[in-house]
Amino acid sequence: MMAAGRGWLAAAALGLALGGCASLTSTASTGPGEPGAGAFPIARDPLAARHRQQAEALERDGQLRRAAEEWKIALAIAPGDARVRESLRALQARIDQAVAERLDEGRKALARGVHVEARRKFLAALALDPSNRAAFDALQSDTREVEFITHTVRAGDTLTALAQRYYGDRSRGEVIWETNQLPPNPRLAAGTTLKIPEIPGVPFVHPEARRPAPAMAAIPTPDVPRPGPTPGPAAPAAPSTKEEFTPEVNPLLAEAREALERSDFPDAIATVDKFLSGKPGDREGLTVKKQALYGQAKSQLDARRYNESIQSLNQLARLQPDYEDAPSLLRQARTRIIEQHYTQGVRFYREEKLKEAIAEWRVVLEMDPSNANARRNIDQAEKLLRGLEQRMKK
Amino acid sequence: MRRRARGSGLLASVAALSLAACATASAPAPGPAPAAGSPPPRPAAYQSEDFIVTFAQPGDTPKALAERYLGGADKGWMIEDYTGLRAFAPGQEVVIPRRPWNPAGVTPGGYQIVPILTYHNLGEQAKGRLVLAAASFREQMRYLKTNGYRVVSLAEFIEFSRLNRQLPQRAVVLTFDDGYRAFKDLAYPVLKELGFTATLFIYTDWVGAGRGALSWADLRELAAAGMDIQGHSKTHADLRRAQGETEAQYARRMQAELEQPQELFNRNLGRRSQILAYPYGRWEEGLLPKVKEYGYIAAFSVRRQGNASFMRPLAGHRSQIYSEMTLDDFVKNLNVFQEENLR
Repeated sequence: MMAAGRGWLAAAALGLALGGCASLTSTASTGPGEPGAGAFPIARDPLAARHRQQAEALERDGQLRRAAEEWKIALAIAPGDARVRESLRALQARIDQAVAERLDEGRKALARGVHVEARRKFLAALALDPSNRAAFDALQSDTREVEFITHTVRAGDTLTALAQRYYGDRSRGEVIWETNQLPPNPRLAAGTTLKIPEIPGVPFVHPEARRPAPAMAAIPTPDVPRPGPTPGPAAPAAPSTKEEFTPEVNPLLAEAREALERSDFPDAIATVDKFLSGKPGDREGLTVKKQALYGQAKSQLDARRYNESIQSLNQLARLQPDYEDAPSLLRQARTRIIEQHYTQGVRFYREEKLKEAIAEWRVVLEMDPSNANARRNIDQAEKLLRGLEQRMKK
Repeated sequence: MRRRARGSGLLASVAALSLAACATASAPAPGPAPAAGSPPPRPAAYQSEDFIVTFAQPGDTPKALAERYLGGADKGWMIEDYTGLRAFAPGQEVVIPRRPWNPAGVTPGGYQIVPILTYHNLGEQAKGRLVLAAASFREQMRYLKTNGYRVVSLAEFIEFSRLNRQLPQRAVVLTFDDGYRAFKDLAYPVLKELGFTATLFIYTDWVGAGRGALSWADLRELAAAGMDIQGHSKTHADLRRAQGETEAQYARRMQAELEQPQELFNRNLGRRSQILAYPYGRWEEGLLPKVKEYGYIAAFSVRRQGNASFMRPLAGHRSQIYSEMTLDDFVKNLNVFQEENLR
């Protein structure tokens, strides 16, 4: 550009200057203007020309940003080429103009409330200028995208089958689940409607073709990424297995359940209590706690630790008095503990430890006020005791 | 040098200008400066601020060229992505971009999306949906490596979502929720072997709580080893406003769920958390101002889809990897491009 207006003298100077420049990056001793001939199979001029031609072709094809890059590459090879500089400048002005137009159209679409169109305009601006802050901010802050279609539920529809049909991926049922704010493990009622949203990156199997396929560039465009492995279009739905649409599980709860499976009931109870302190009244948490208390009570009963078993069962009764056969377990435990105290009383009585025997039977009466044997034994033992005491006085 | 050239009138001044352009072009290049007395001739290159044009020497790989011209082998992806090639024939022309050329990841054919994968617990055997077998995890990570995916950090992704960083076209982020001990025992060794990084989203009530939980000491150790630790609330409760919860009650609850972890982060890791994973992936619009108020700049659900650069910062998506998934199921979560005609 600078050299262009200054005649042959300037052009000659430029040639010299460039020769010096190129030698900066070369260690091979070649003629001026030709860096490391050993390394470069093509001379500077034909190399630059190749990129110039590519730039022109891309520009003709409307691939403006790629064309600009090719002009810049040509300029890296031949920095003094004024025509290239000028071409780049003109193209950049064209790009800036196009970006401004897209931004304007996008903002107008936004003002009309047509978000899908606004989004496309802002994206088109970014495709031309991928560092355009205005387009980026508009997309990020102002544009609520999400195209979706409406599906009317038919008998037998499941989320996984719908996901397979629309996305070719059963696991995207979660997205339908989330989009429609369905409850965990939902039952889909025939006749109701569901939003099936577009998921970026997942081929959307739409009944009506919704977008023209992206035009393939005539010239290889290195910055079009290879798309990731994608599932094929809707394969016939695999036989529906268990549908699981539940949010992730709290780890403390998971750990409590795991302890429960190991029959480590104290651990399960301690862990679930920790969980419940954060989420008091949580139904799942309470279910685990009841299971754990029940299991603990049973194992204590088997180990003849009746008092402990009763404690566990009493805790359980506070959560749910009619849990499984807990009431009957509680009766069993009480019966056994009464038997224990009763027999212990008899043992003391035989050993003539009357006071101790009476204490044991009193426990029996406390637990079972209608226990006639214990009452009779106490009477008997007290009579004996009184007789003994009178004899001692004499 | 330019000063000394002055005095020869027009010629000199034109030459000086051209030289200035050259000088700025090649000055920052760490590459082939002439080194006195180094016998093997090094490849030459044309350079400008934007591009380097060179020809591959025998044995040149994207990594080797990146090391030579871009200041680090870790920038090899720039050459691979720009050229669309992973290997070069000797004598082949290679155009190397010196600067990010597509920070938004948007092209006329569509736009880049970044999958963020979510793992929970690992075990020697799979158990339930959320305890993944260690062998499956290893298989999945190897798949990423051998198929050209590039694991980037969540922080790098956040920069991408602010238009401040270009990411490799096949960028993937790895995250692990809750803070299970199994991360350290089973996942970390695999990540280390493959040179991957990951973010742990921990909820602070769990730290050091159960037998299967990581401690703060573990977390410090993992952070020192290059893992990123971020927040996942205090109690792992659903952060949406509950039915019947008054505004004041909700504000208090959010203070506990969002701010108390920050204090623990500060005390134990010497910094606050900037990124939040919503417990159960659940959020609603009314929650977002509170998330912002407590200093989180980005937050993620578990909606199974990838993220464009222009995603809403507090409404990011992650894809949960379940134990029952086959490798094919896993791969379905790795889409990195949304085709859309944007011309």
